[in-house]
Amino acid sequence: MGTAASYSRSVKCLSRSPARSSRVYYSPIAAVLALLVATASIGAPRALAQIELSWSPSMVKGPAGAPVTIVEFSDYQ
Amino acid sequence: MLEEYAGRVRLVFKDRPLAMHTLARAAHEAARCAGAAGKYWPYHDRLFAAQPAFRRTDLIAYATELGLDRDEFARCLDERRFAADVERDVTQAQALGINSTPTFLINGRLVIGASSIEEFRSIIDKALQERR
Repeated sequence: MGTAASYSRSVKCLSRSPARSSRVYYSPIAAVLALLVATASIGAPRALAQIELSWSPSMVKGPAGAPVTIVEFSDYQ
Repeated sequence: MLEEYAGRVRLVFKDRPLAMHTLARAAHEAARCAGAAGKYWPYHDRLFAAQPAFRRTDLIAYATELGLDRDEFARCLDERRFAADVERDVTQAQALGINSTPTFLINGRLVIGASSIEEFRSIIDKALQERR
């Protein structure tokens, strides 16, 4: 458990123009969801960044079909 | 907050141990060991309550408190079974320019720092409206 094989989902984060609003595309069949990261909230324009997020099912709370996904990056210390 | 939005919001926790927090990485790996035994969230809560007491003996003690097998948990920790998984989260965070904690992505919208409940509610409500 917990190896790469246990990651049932992946997320694509695409950071585009800061003027664009964020949108999320869910594709449960492909188990892939694309996130457009809007950078408007932090003001200064940022470079284009496209990264893929994956997570372990044990580190998720709430239903897979929820319309809103909050990804929290945090530090225990 | 999750209870308030039951069924409509999903929370994903990603490891972002900061380099200056020298004990954090082991704690993040330990949490994943607990997760492999089906106790991710109870262990997660225990770590936040205990911070920053994250020596090896502490981490093992929290696991046994939650009823996890001591030897198996210690083995997982000592083998650093989830080191690569934690590192993957760190790499993903860095690629997104996330260098402080906590940082949130709410349907892809970046929220840096611990915001007020009201601010979260407002962003979540907006995200829910956009999804309608």
